[in-house]
Amino acid sequence: MEIQKTEVLENPEVEAIIELTKQNQSEEVEHCDELQVAEEGEKPRDEDEDELRNLLLSDIGDLPISPPSATQVNFVSYFITDFTKSGHDQYIYRHPNGLCVIGLAPTHIAFKDEGGITNIDFNVGKSDRSVLKVSGKRKKNAMRSESNTALCKVSTANDSYIVRCCVKGSLLEVNERLIKQPHLLNSSADREGYIAIIMPRPADWTKNKESLMTLEEYKEKKGVSL
Amino acid sequence: MSDEAKPASGDLAGLPNSLVAHGDIRTRRVYEAARSLHSGAVKDLLSLGVCERCTFRLVVVEAFDSDFSSVAASTLRSWLETGDDETGSSEPSCSRVCIVCLGVLQFVFSDAKETVVKSDSSSDYAARITDLVKQDGHVFDSFALEVSVPSTVTENERAVLSHLKVKYSTEAWLQSEKTSVKDALKVLVLDPLRASLGAKSDSSSFAIRLTYSKASDEAQGASETTHERKKRKTDEENGSNCRSENSFEKVYEPCVLSVHCNMMPIFFSGRYFKYSRNVSQSRWIIDDERMGESSVEEIIGGNILPACLGDSYKFHAAGREDIDVRMLGSGRPFLIEVQNSRQCPSQQLLTEIEEKINNSEKKLVGVKDLRFIGSQCWAMMREGEAEKQKQYAALVWISRPLEDTDFNSISSLKELKILQKTPIRVLHRRSPLERERTIHWMKVEKIKGNSNYFLLHLCTQAGTYIKEFVHGDLGRTSPSMGSILGCRAEIIQLDVTDVKMGDS
Repeated sequence: MEIQKTEVLENPEVEAIIELTKQNQSEEVEHCDELQVAEEGEKPRDEDEDELRNLLLSDIGDLPISPPSATQVNFVSYFITDFTKSGHDQYIYRHPNGLCVIGLAPTHIAFKDEGGITNIDFNVGKSDRSVLKVSGKRKKNAMRSESNTALCKVSTANDSYIVRCCVKGSLLEVNERLIKQPHLLNSSADREGYIAIIMPRPADWTKNKESLMTLEEYKEKKGVSL
Repeated sequence: MSDEAKPASGDLAGLPNSLVAHGDIRTRRVYEAARSLHSGAVKDLLSLGVCERCTFRLVVVEAFDSDFSSVAASTLRSWLETGDDETGSSEPSCSRVCIVCLGVLQFVFSDAKETVVKSDSSSDYAARITDLVKQDGHVFDSFALEVSVPSTVTENERAVLSHLKVKYSTEAWLQSEKTSVKDALKVLVLDPLRASLGAKSDSSSFAIRLTYSKASDEAQGASETTHERKKRKTDEENGSNCRSENSFEKVYEPCVLSVHCNMMPIFFSGRYFKYSRNVSQSRWIIDDERMGESSVEEIIGGNILPACLGDSYKFHAAGREDIDVRMLGSGRPFLIEVQNSRQCPSQQLLTEIEEKINNSEKKLVGVKDLRFIGSQCWAMMREGEAEKQKQYAALVWISRPLEDTDFNSISSLKELKILQKTPIRVLHRRSPLERERTIHWMKVEKIKGNSNYFLLHLCTQAGTYIKEFVHGDLGRTSPSMGSILGCRAEIIQLDVTDVKMGDS
C-alpha cells in the first residue's frame, strides 16, 4: 500500500504503521510514517534509498537498556567535598578540550533543606556574574577567577550557601537560566542545572587536579551509590 | 669556442664580402648595425672585458632583438672590431667571462657539478637547457620563461655605463634605454627553446625558471667593492672623477645555472562517502599521536598524488563531519589540489583510482564521479556551503518509552527555529555566540523490539549541531529533542544522509 506524500501532510493526526511495498532485508525495523516517492521512473531512487536504509540499520548493534549519558561519555568527572565549608560538595566535569563545567554535587548540603533550592543570585563578590559579556575566540573580557572566587549564592527556605569556582581559570559562562528556573538545581543539578563553565590554563589545571577526587573516590567517601 | 674561419650554423662567415654575396636579411641588419656603432666606445668596452653581446646591447640605439640569436659571438666580435686593431687581444678575451653579464649572454655557465659548459650558438644553448628541463619529467605543451640573474649584474652594468658617460657624455646613443640582460637572454633563447622543447610559449600554467647565481663571492665583475666605493667618493669630493680602468676586476668563473620547472596546481573533483566511524576527514594528529585509523584526505589524496607525480596535495571539502559520523547518501563534494604535477592522469586512470578506493579491503571511504576539473572548481565548492540544507539520520535514546503521539508531535514541526549556544565541545576554539538555526523537517522511525530507541530523520540548515540538538547540551540548545518530548534524550550515533547541492 502506498500513501502519497501530500496525504500525509494534510492529515497530521493520521499516523499509522505503514508497510513498505518492498520488504526490507533487515527484520529489526518497522517502517512508519515514511517518505513515499512517486511511482513512475523512480525505481533507481527506490533502490538507492533501500541501500541507504540497509547501511543505516546494519550499524545498529545491541542496544543497551540505558546507555551512558552525553556527559558521562564526553566528560571526565571530578568532585570536591567540603570546599571551604562543610557540606559544600561540588562537581567539576572536564572536557578533553580543557573546559570545566561546575555544579552542585548530589550530596551538597543545600539539597538537605526542606523544599530544596528556591533561589539563586549571581550578584556576589564585586560583580554580577550573570552580566558577563565574553566575546571572540580569545575569550576577551572573561573574568579571571581563583578557585575560591564566589560564583553565586543559592538559597533555600532555611539558609543560603556560597558556591565557588573550585578551579582557577577564566569564567566563560554562567547558567543564567537558573535565575528564572532555580528548580533545575533540584531536578537535574548534573545537567541543565549546571552553574558555570570555566576555562583553566593547562598549567593551572595540572596543579588544581591534585586537590580533586575521582567519581570512585567520591562515592566511597560519601557512601553514596550513583 | 669556434674560431672565426668556421661558420656557425645558420649564419655567415665573418668576411663582409661573403655577407654581401649571400646575405640573409636579418643577419645583414645586424652586421650593418654593428658597423655603425661608435668604434671608440666599442673598443673601450671590449678591452675592459665586456662580451660582444653586452657591448652591442649597451652601445646600440635600437632594441636588441631576436635577429641576434642566429649570430655567433665570435662573428659578432669580428664585425665589431675594425681590421687594424690588435687582434692579439681577441683570443684570450674570448675565453674570459664578461664583467657585466657574468657569462649569461655568452651562453656559458657552471653546472651542478661545477663544470663549465659552453655553447656556440643559441640553438645549442637551448638544447642544453632542454636537457635540464627534461630531468624534471614534466609533460607540457606550452611554457612561460622566467629568468633570474644575480643583482650584481645590474650593478656591473651601471658601473660600466657610468664609466662610458665620463668619456662620451654627450653622445646620443648613450641616452637611449638599454635592453637588460634578462630581456636580452629571453630574446636570444626563446625561439630556439620553443623549437627544442616542441612547445608554445605563452603566459601559461607551466613556468621554466632559469636561475643564474654567482659562482663565488669574489667574481663580482665591474661593480665596486666597498673599499673602492669609499675611495671613489673621496676622489669625487677632491675633484677627480675618473674611474681608472684597472678598477674593473676580471671575472674567471661564469654564473651557476639551475633550471626549475613549476606547474600551476591542478584540481580534481568528486564526492566521497565515509563508511567508518573511526576515520577523520583530514589528517588529525595530537601530540604525535594520530586520532582515528586514517583520514578521507589521506585515502583519496594519497592515491591521486602518485598518479600525477606531484609534489604535494591539498584537500578541500564542502563542509565536514565528525570522526564518528558516517557520510552516506549522495556523498559530500570535495576537491583535491595537486601542486607541481608532472603529468595529468587520464579519465580512465581516474576511474581506476576510484575503483581501487571503492574496492579496497577495509571499505573505510568511497568515491564517486572523480574527474579533472578546471577553473570552475571553486564555484562548485561554494554551492555546497552555507545556504544549503543537510539531511541526517540519528539513532536516539529517550528515558521513557516512545508513544504514539510522539510521532506526530515531531513530524508536525516544520521549519522549527532553534537557538544553539556554542557547544561546549567546540567552545574552546570558537566564539561564544547564540546561533539561530532551522530544522526544516523531522520524521520518527520506530525500531522493532525496543521502544526506548528510534531512528530520527531530519533535514536542517547548514551549520546546525545535530548532536547538541538531540541531547540539549546541558540546556544550551533550545528547543531540543528532550525538551520537545519532555524527557531525557541521548544520541547514540549519527549519519549524514544527504548534502544537497544546487542542482540535485
